[in-house]
Amino acid sequence: MPSSASLRKQIESAFEHRYPSVLTPSAKAVREVASTGISQIDDLLNGGLPVGAITELTGPASSGKTSIAIAALSRRIQEGGVCAWVDANDAFDPESAAANGISLNQLLWVRCSGTQTANQPDKFRTSNFRQTQPWPRLDQALRATDLILQSGGFASVVLDLADESIEHGRRIPLATWFRYRQAADRTRCSLIVLGKAPYAQSSAAVVLECEQAALDSANHNVIRRFIYKVHRHRERFTSITSIDRKPPASIWSAHAMWNTEKRA
Amino acid sequence: MKSRGQPDCLYAAVHAAEFPAQAILRLRPDLRSHPCVVLAGSPPEERVCALNLHARKRGVVHGMTRLEVDELGNIHILTCFAETEATARNVFLETLLQFSPRIEETFATNASAFVLDITGTERLFGPPHEIALRIRSALSTVGFRASICICTNYDTARIKAEFSSGISVIPYEKESEALAPVPISALHLELEHYETFALWGIGTLGELAALPEEELIPRFGQPSRAWLALSRGYAEHTFQPMEARFELKEHIEFETHIEQLDSLLFVCSNMINNLVARASSRALSLASIRIDMSLEGSAQYKQVIHPAIPSNDRKFLLKLMQLEIAAHPPQAAVDSLTLTAEAGQHCKVQLDLFALPMPEPSRLDVTLARLKAIAGADRVGSPVLLDSHRPGNFQIREFSINDQLFTDAKTLNRTCLRRVRPPHTLRMQLNTGKPAAFRDGSAPFCVSVAYGPWQSSGCWWAVDRWDLEEWDVMATNDSGESIACLVVHDHLNGKWLLDAFYD
Repeated sequence: MPSSASLRKQIESAFEHRYPSVLTPSAKAVREVASTGISQIDDLLNGGLPVGAITELTGPASSGKTSIAIAALSRRIQEGGVCAWVDANDAFDPESAAANGISLNQLLWVRCSGTQTANQPDKFRTSNFRQTQPWPRLDQALRATDLILQSGGFASVVLDLADESIEHGRRIPLATWFRYRQAADRTRCSLIVLGKAPYAQSSAAVVLECEQAALDSANHNVIRRFIYKVHRHRERFTSITSIDRKPPASIWSAHAMWNTEKRA
Repeated sequence: MKSRGQPDCLYAAVHAAEFPAQAILRLRPDLRSHPCVVLAGSPPEERVCALNLHARKRGVVHGMTRLEVDELGNIHILTCFAETEATARNVFLETLLQFSPRIEETFATNASAFVLDITGTERLFGPPHEIALRIRSALSTVGFRASICICTNYDTARIKAEFSSGISVIPYEKESEALAPVPISALHLELEHYETFALWGIGTLGELAALPEEELIPRFGQPSRAWLALSRGYAEHTFQPMEARFELKEHIEFETHIEQLDSLLFVCSNMINNLVARASSRALSLASIRIDMSLEGSAQYKQVIHPAIPSNDRKFLLKLMQLEIAAHPPQAAVDSLTLTAEAGQHCKVQLDLFALPMPEPSRLDVTLARLKAIAGADRVGSPVLLDSHRPGNFQIREFSINDQLFTDAKTLNRTCLRRVRPPHTLRMQLNTGKPAAFRDGSAPFCVSVAYGPWQSSGCWWAVDRWDLEEWDVMATNDSGESIACLVVHDHLNGKWLLDAFYD
């Protein structure tokens, strides 16, 4: 009676011309991760946000997703990388970024605006030089993200759709997210998407849902820190057993930007 | 005939005939295979001042009027522009400077002619015929056709180049034979002397050279000694090299107004190719390109392209130019176009295996230009905080990876603001001076916690003064959604504003 090893060898050799190593499980590659600088979230994600993949931070306003994104960018910039923030609603606050240790000259900020009239970039006029075409804010953000991802060299890119309505976000074609995933994988860039809900679906490697847990104040007249809760909804590159063992949520806090004692 | 010793000098005369036509056609390769003439003068007195070979074959001659050219049919008529010609002459001269720093310009009607002192360059460029081939090839790359003559005598080279085509190499002591078939008009004599020589039946330099000097001088005086020297190929000349200025400039004037970007870029492409070729010949790159256009209605258009690093990549520079013009389109049709480049040293980049990948500078330039075309030129870049107490005071500067300052700052993990730009006006309800409830548009919020106020004011002497009262507010709407926001009371306008969210 042939052993299981010889049987497997026979089957694999029979199928070799069509499916190489048909019964041998492929070796799992260790995914590179980048720390967010927030230990609780790093623990939740086995080290940090995946490099070369899409991470979605979802949640309502004041749920701490912007703080997580800025902390992650700050960490990447301190490692010597260059990052970009594609701001669909022009909500980015440079002072907050600087307060979190981001070197602003290593950050490319694209401020999309619905009121701005942009010129059509690729084709020129058919009749004269004065024709222009307005681009909607969301479309600008998607095109800008695409360009930045395709150009390569950015360690991390944030696509900020946090103020976009869920209906608009869900209208983004899946092909766009597939393209982003491919480009992020090719250029080893961490794409962080901020939104009220997850939009990238199967293209996202990690989906974190954020919510506000509590507010800590000093003497009941100054905010000392915000306490947030993060739920892990999807983690594509981690084995099932690992997910089961880990807690599904984590609590972290972000201190206020000011000197609490002085302000109190 | 005087006997001479072997001279030390070697000259290469380069003569580009029909230069006004060549100056235009070198930037219009699409017209080179068609008959073209260049008209000079003001209408209706315009006459043909230059033409190409195809037009000559069709029967066009110098001095024809526009009407006569039109009668021949299917001939492109171009207009002569002094600036285009001057730019082309500079390019022509610059190309020749690759072969010798000692160059003298010679007078030539309707042509551009230079004589190069190429003494001692044989070890660099090879024998005389090889040098001539190289000169012709270099001129061809920038769009010129020229006749070249190499000789040990300056004037012989100059005259032979003017009255022959292709390449001529005249050996030592064969000058007289080489000049024999050249017409006597090469000497630029006065009209009465031409008439006298015509009466004598003298029409070429060979026939003039055969005349005895003793008989000629009593009849024409001392100048005839110089004529004989020229025609026999032993005239002496003191070489006066010119000081050429290196300027990377290309200019073209259009016969018709250009309204299409594609048409403009087609011309730009050739101009950039020429600029890159000229810079490359000096081991330089283009650090910036200034675009000057004169527009219909005497308006002017000026833009400057600054690549992140000096580049010689033609496609990249053309793409930058396309995006720049698309982002800042001219407000009228284009009459003329000038590209002036500044040369820079080739970029040297020290790569690092262990550093994070950075954006490739030239690719980043194109990406930034595309982003500016999408979002607006003033909305793409790096934020810079200004030294002011005014909230949200910053400006955007050009994003560049050349001057990155790597700081050893630590991640501080502080909560961040999301600005509302422009701030929403709120309808606020107060309770004992504190925010109690507010409406953002139609959405009502009930304030659960309000910390403040924190006063902020400044620039009371200026128009843009501010006087604000800040409140940190936790509020809940009807659906139970809780927000933490920064609410501002603007004392100057008496308005409550939603300035930012804590997120």
